[in-house]
Amino acid sequence: MILALLLAVPLSACAACAVSAVSAVSRRRSVLEAVNVTAFAITFLLALAVASQVLRSGAISLWNGFLYADALSALVILLNAAVALVCSVYAVGYLREDQRLGALDGEVGSHGAEAKLRMYYSLTPLLVFSMLLVTLANNLGVMWAAIELTTLASVFLVTFYGKVTSLEAAWKYAMIGGVGLSMALFGTLLTYYAGHKFPGSEGVAGLNWSILVGQAAQLDKPSMRMAFILVLLGYGTKAGLAPMHTWKPDAYSEAPVPSAAILSVAVLNCAIYGLVRFYVLTSRCLGAQYPGSLLLLLGLFSMGIAVPFVLVQRNFRRMLAYSTIDQAGMMVTALGIGGKLAAFALMLHMTFHTVAKSLLFLSAGNIYQCFKTDLFLKLKGGVLKVLPITGAAFCLGTMAIVGLPPFSLFQSEFLMIRAAFGTAHFLVGALFILFGLGVFTGVTLHVSGMLLGTSEEPRAAWHPWRDTPIAILAVILIVIGFWLPADLLELIRRAAEVVSP
Amino acid sequence: MHTLQDPEFGNKMVTLMAALVLVLQIAMVAQRWIVTNIRLFAAQSFLLAAIANTIAYYNHAPHIYVAAVLTLLAKGILVPIVLERLVARIEIRQEIEPIVNIPLSIVISGGLTLVGYVLAEPFYRPEEAPGAATLGHNALAVAISLFLIGFFMMINRRKALTQVLALLCLENGLFLAAISLTYGMPLIVELGVLFDVLVAVMVLGILVYRIRETFESMDVSRMRRLRG
Amino acid sequence: MIPVFLTAVVQLLLLLTVAPLVGGLIKTLKARLQVRRGPGILQPYRDLHKLFRKGMVLPETASWIFSATPYVVFSATAIAGLMIPMISAKAPLGLFGGVLAVVYLLGLGRFFLALAGLDTGSSFGGLGSSREMTIAALAEPAMMLAVFTVAIGANSTSLSEIARVATSTTWHFLAPAQMLAFAALFIVLIAETGRIPVDNPATHLELTMIHEAMILEYSGPYLGLIEWGASIKQLLLMTLLINAFLPFGLQSKWSLGGLAISLVYLLLKLLVLAVSIVLVETANAKMRFFRVPDLLAMAFTLAALGLVSTFLF
Repeated sequence: MILALLLAVPLSACAACAVSAVSAVSRRRSVLEAVNVTAFAITFLLALAVASQVLRSGAISLWNGFLYADALSALVILLNAAVALVCSVYAVGYLREDQRLGALDGEVGSHGAEAKLRMYYSLTPLLVFSMLLVTLANNLGVMWAAIELTTLASVFLVTFYGKVTSLEAAWKYAMIGGVGLSMALFGTLLTYYAGHKFPGSEGVAGLNWSILVGQAAQLDKPSMRMAFILVLLGYGTKAGLAPMHTWKPDAYSEAPVPSAAILSVAVLNCAIYGLVRFYVLTSRCLGAQYPGSLLLLLGLFSMGIAVPFVLVQRNFRRMLAYSTIDQAGMMVTALGIGGKLAAFALMLHMTFHTVAKSLLFLSAGNIYQCFKTDLFLKLKGGVLKVLPITGAAFCLGTMAIVGLPPFSLFQSEFLMIRAAFGTAHFLVGALFILFGLGVFTGVTLHVSGMLLGTSEEPRAAWHPWRDTPIAILAVILIVIGFWLPADLLELIRRAAEVVSP
Repeated sequence: MHTLQDPEFGNKMVTLMAALVLVLQIAMVAQRWIVTNIRLFAAQSFLLAAIANTIAYYNHAPHIYVAAVLTLLAKGILVPIVLERLVARIEIRQEIEPIVNIPLSIVISGGLTLVGYVLAEPFYRPEEAPGAATLGHNALAVAISLFLIGFFMMINRRKALTQVLALLCLENGLFLAAISLTYGMPLIVELGVLFDVLVAVMVLGILVYRIRETFESMDVSRMRRLRG
Repeated sequence: MIPVFLTAVVQLLLLLTVAPLVGGLIKTLKARLQVRRGPGILQPYRDLHKLFRKGMVLPETASWIFSATPYVVFSATAIAGLMIPMISAKAPLGLFGGVLAVVYLLGLGRFFLALAGLDTGSSFGGLGSSREMTIAALAEPAMMLAVFTVAIGANSTSLSEIARVATSTTWHFLAPAQMLAFAALFIVLIAETGRIPVDNPATHLELTMIHEAMILEYSGPYLGLIEWGASIKQLLLMTLLINAFLPFGLQSKWSLGGLAISLVYLLLKLLVLAVSIVLVETANAKMRFFRVPDLLAMAFTLAALGLVSTFLF
């Protein structure tokens, strides 16, 4: 029952905002904002309820196994719901500032600020709905359809500002995403074929993950082999693994900042979730070596490719995108290393990354709106003086994301390296450290140049809508470096057990 | 009526139609006129629906009829109409020279067809339920070829609209693969996929229109501002 | 058992008489489709009669090739024609290589024609020769692959053998290999006989000519021989297409009654094929020369796929 509610809330918010053009009262911006924030608040509370129920009684399902939530789903739902809530609060302030600055009028095909706001506030709940559907759907085909829906819902969020570059970014995103997801569909189809010999596999149940996982050892091996490659390429495109990553920097720098945060964090979580589900099936069918080596290959390649692009980066929003590519590579490498420790590290990393990356994106949004540029050259420094809270938060986020102790990401990365050396993946561990150092150098160089120093801008005021989420996230980031609530830790541990029992 | 019941006849019909689908795909690679491309795609979707119907008939799998009819309506009629209206609004008729010239692309498509056959080999198991169940081998090879050729078309083309068409051909190949491997996926999945395809076409159509307005051309090689 | 010599004579006479008829048929049908009256089916006979009685003008700069070409073209095509099973599955002449010999004989004729075009020293002749060679370079492999596809089914390249196998066992036209090869060969037929969309047989503009440009300087009996040779080539290719792929009605032996039935079937099938050629000609415009390789590459790929599919399907 909870699961149905969880899905229904964002969907109704989307519908409400979409039809809000009907009357002048409902067309007002404050109504749209209120509907969104309340909906996401309720969603977050429901996500907490789901998580606690899964902790208490194990996996829950609804509608004859159509919706299914185990610890892994519950964790990702919780993370995504939290991100959505934080970003929705931030978006209120961000979009109000944009409207004030006139950035919503756009260059090409301008719809008018009001219509754009309505589009944003209807598409974002749709996006959240599809992400929730990804994690709740038991049927791998429905999961695919939901991931495709996330792409389609976010295309118009990327073209939000209507600039020439936005169109280019959106086209790349749509095309590369489309091709990637077609490959993933083929992989899903082959998975269905691999399992179709079993009785009762006609109809919906044939693609249900919970059923397939039980019969995984008897799945048809050659089909699963080809299926995993296709799914890896497909969902890897969505996660932004190299060499299918080229859409990421463009999309993240062109989309409005709260959308970019959701895309970068929550959609990435969903893509990794999809990869994890297929990894479990494949490793139980073919052994962990085959999928593991493929994952390691792509993961390390992504981490490696991020290094030069971060070093020569000129735009801090694109730098964040490359950092996301790097983090995705890290998570996929952890998945590829295999074993209990690596799985636990992966789940921890996903949690920590959610907090840190959203903090980074939201602070970047503040900086962008204050200085009206995202190029390092034009910023010239002094962010800490102009925007003390944002600057401090950005600094904290950067230190966390490059893996400095005592921040949380250091711990999860350390666990990953330990797992790598523990399972005799020495080259993997060495490359991991090397690429981590590379990214660390690049990011620290640019960010320190940006934050330190002086600037002619006056000290900015405190904006409640925009700065509160940043402050809360910063506090959470510091706290989770030292302490996690016991329930959350248990949830993470159970999620890791799904991957590697 | 005896011939109509014979699965061998069904096998031959499916093989024939699969070959025609392949020929249409190669013709699409060779085509320069966007409108003809769209019409060839519509014809291909019709043939796919016919193949699905034939397989449904010989394997007594009624849920494929639904998928077949939906494909016919959506990809055979609706999508081509949407795309042709878009072409009429944009007023571009011809594709400029594709990146690899046409005779070479045709030969490459022929090569990709062979690759498709090689890839489909492991799925061909005549020792399982002979007769009706092997209806799918040729169709699967053609499906994989369609997939590969669609991928190649996407890289080869410059105009945004033809890239959309290439994506749709990819989806066609997937549909054929689904039909021939597993007699279609569960109905809800088919519905989901079809819905996604339709929405994708709408979204891409709008994007193409805006690209045309912005860049005065649908040539995607002009979109080069975002780099690094 | 009719001696081989007699069968050769019969087939030769058939070739010589029916070839202009097919040409006239196509011209008249095309005219009727375009709501004109057309020259009449028997016009080519009148043309040949006229040409053979006229005087000739030879260019001063031409060499012996110019004079030899009409004879070479005519005889090569006629010999090749004797190797095609027209009214009986057993063709009168069976040179080594079967279908390869046919292709090379036609190639010999084309080679001399191209040389003759160059020989006159006029630039239009050179233009026609180079264009003809370009088309041939693409069309010949397609033709060979298409016929090999059928040959593999019969385990022999001898056309008689192919036709015999075709008439005896259960021949499925609907097999994809056959269909692809038929499509490829149809396109090659259009290209080799110089029909729209590859070349316009009725054009007056030198820049749009291919075949016509090569024979621009010929007149009188030489022209008659070349024109006759061209129409025999057209009949030859059409018969090849018909009898390799749709061989019903073809008799296996040479017997009088059988011959009559075969002839009737042949004429009927030629009529149907002529009608389809006319439809293709009327529905299309002549392609720019640089687009012709596209079409022929398509034929080549279809033929290659057809050939490979005999192993796969």
